Amino acid sequence: MSTSEAHATPREYPWRMPANWWTRSRHYFWYIVREFTAVPLALWLVWLLVEIKRAGDGPARYSPHGSAPFVIFSVVVLLFSLYHSFTFLSLAGSILHFKLLDRPVSASVIVMSQFAAWAVASGVIGFFLVWLGR
Amino acid sequence: MIESSHLPAGGDGGRRPGGDARVPKTAFNHLVFWFLFAQGGIIAAILIPVHVLIQGILGPLNIVPVVDRHYDTWIDALGNPIVKLYLLVLIAAPFFHFAHRIRYLLAQVVFYGGAVVVTLITIWVLLTTVPIGS
Repeated sequence: MSTSEAHATPREYPWRMPANWWTRSRHYFWYIVREFTAVPLALWLVWLLVEIKRAGDGPARYSPHGSAPFVIFSVVVLLFSLYHSFTFLSLAGSILHFKLLDRPVSASVIVMSQFAAWAVASGVIGFFLVWLGR
Repeated sequence: MIESSHLPAGGDGGRRPGGDARVPKTAFNHLVFWFLFAQGGIIAAILIPVHVLIQGILGPLNIVPVVDRHYDTWIDALGNPIVKLYLLVLIAAPFFHFAHRIRYLLAQVVFYGGAVVVTLITIWVLLTTVPIGS
């Protein structure tokens, strides 16, 4: 019977986003770019782990990566990395809310403190990376 | 699994209009995943760009000396337990952030599983390469 067949089939039809939804708006596009930053950053961290592991091969076999393709790869990763840093640290003004001496700290001060922490951390780490290499 | 953990802690555990006050349920999954997401994001934002810039670009171009450009300086640094701990945090923590970001692009199980695998591999590499005190 056609009636019983109609009851047997699922009545719900889940709506699916078309695959190209993120190309329709500039905001959607940059949102997907922000999500995608995870991929190049993950690849670069895996490379760093390989560089650590290769130190175990001994002095005769160790040679650091330095080819042109690797430098180009790093430049691309750096662009994605900076985009992640700017977008993520800028969010702090919306996420963090606290008071200092009974007065709410403004979002711009919180964001500036995040960027200041980034600058200080970069300076300290950069110093150690170079100083330990001398 | 993860989707339900991101719902507010209301539902049956919340206060009802009739005055039936129940103790709200704490969303522990929500807490853990958002904590890992946020910590991984801040670590990636603050620490990664300077590593990519110096170890990926300035070092290979011989603009500055960098710790991993020479075997001796690299293993001296890798033998230090503080450096090992720092590298573990630097490499492993961002993957819990990446997992959250990529879950909309690819199957989440693969990437949360991947984050755990990367953590274990990082610990293994750090402990087997230039062991502490060697």
